[in-house]
Amino acid sequence: MIHSGICSLLGIRYPIFQGGMAWVSDASLAGAVSDAGGLGIISAMNANADYLRTEIRKLRQMTNMPFGVNIMLMSPFADEVAKVVAEERVPVVTTGAGLPSKYMKAWIECGIKVIPVVPSTGIAKMVERMGATAVIAEGGESGGHVGDLTTMTLVPQVCDAVRIPVLAAGGIADGRGIAAAFMLGASGVQCGTRFLVAKECTIHQNYKKRVLEAKDIDTMVTGKRLGHPVRALKNKFTKEFFNKEYDSSVSNEELEAFGVGALRRAAVEGDETTGSFLAGQAAAMVKKEQTAKEIIEEMFAEAEAVLNGARKWIK
Amino acid sequence: MTFEKVAKIIADFKEIDVSEITMQTTLNKDLGLDSLDTVELIMSFESEFGITLEPDASLQTIGDVVSMIDKETKK
Ligand SMILES: Cc1cc2nc3c(=O)[nH]c(=O)nc-3n(C[C@H](O)[C@H](O)[C@H](O)COP(=O)(O)O)c2cc1C
Repeated sequence: MIHSGICSLLGIRYPIFQGGMAWVSDASLAGAVSDAGGLGIISAMNANADYLRTEIRKLRQMTNMPFGVNIMLMSPFADEVAKVVAEERVPVVTTGAGLPSKYMKAWIECGIKVIPVVPSTGIAKMVERMGATAVIAEGGESGGHVGDLTTMTLVPQVCDAVRIPVLAAGGIADGRGIAAAFMLGASGVQCGTRFLVAKECTIHQNYKKRVLEAKDIDTMVTGKRLGHPVRALKNKFTKEFFNKEYDSSVSNEELEAFGVGALRRAAVEGDETTGSFLAGQAAAMVKKEQTAKEIIEEMFAEAEAVLNGARKWIK
Repeated sequence: MTFEKVAKIIADFKEIDVSEITMQTTLNKDLGLDSLDTVELIMSFESEFGITLEPDASLQTIGDVVSMIDKETKK
């Protein structure tokens, strides 16, 4: 059995988080992951307080296990959802890129464990100082918004920079990835892409099909020009976005407008031409639809075998 | 005095001329700084002025940075 400090700290069985995913991780997926012994995370995305409160309550009907809420700091509803997590006494809050300084004090005061996603050692140090319980070092292999550094280089550097536990994210989709993350100094992992195909994940079947059929070279990053690059599966939408991005006659405002609603079109409508199917480079490693419980148990059985076998290299 | 030091640190970081920086210059729009860059700069200001800062989203202009630093150094 693999057990780390993060398990005792949060009261979870397996040191794995299902990353908050806008339009994807609702109570259904997060509840299943938490119930299976990982940490399921509801995405507050760009929705209002009522949506989040409903999802939190739904999850609490499903399981008594700890769970988290992911707050996107750029959301127009950030202030109100920040209040909801405090009122509902959510056990864990994770935050996307940017500094959660504005809310951290209030959250920590009501006993919430704050675990920000960090793209650099500087941000990791800053949030440690503000009282973060742990950090998630996310490399650019991941699906969704991406930073420049890779998981391989970012994780050990963040581990050296802070004293709080570090979770590794980006490109981890099987037991080998978990084992590698531990070798880099992490004490847990966060996965997104692999959970897209969980049975309890409510996204459109076309989205799951695209992930299951993906090959290694099928993702691309767009949106660098706007300052928030995003990794998604290649399709008509990403190619058009890419062309517009390199067309200087298209203004940033037009480019932003072109991207609006694309993730919803993928996740809810399954629209394969105008949707943005966010997924990481590990999509090609995701081969079948399974329950969250099967995914977690399989990954950790593999990780244990890999770690047990590692002694063979030492002569 | 604070402004001059801040402007110099930012000019060095961005490899631009100090004269391009005024109190009204914005971090994001004018200088193109993202949250990673901002945190690196905050850390440079902390060691320059011997203080600790709590950056947040209200930091928009160089003027905001200067008044945040002045507030801390007076403490
Ligand atoms: C469809 C999708 C949506 C995502 N949305 C968010 C989000 O709203 N907030 C966030 O912090 N991270 C988001 N992420 C990142 C995940 O939480 C997670 O860190 C990432 O997927 C890990 O890398 P992996 O995809 O290689 O497993 C998203 C990822 C995907 C695939």
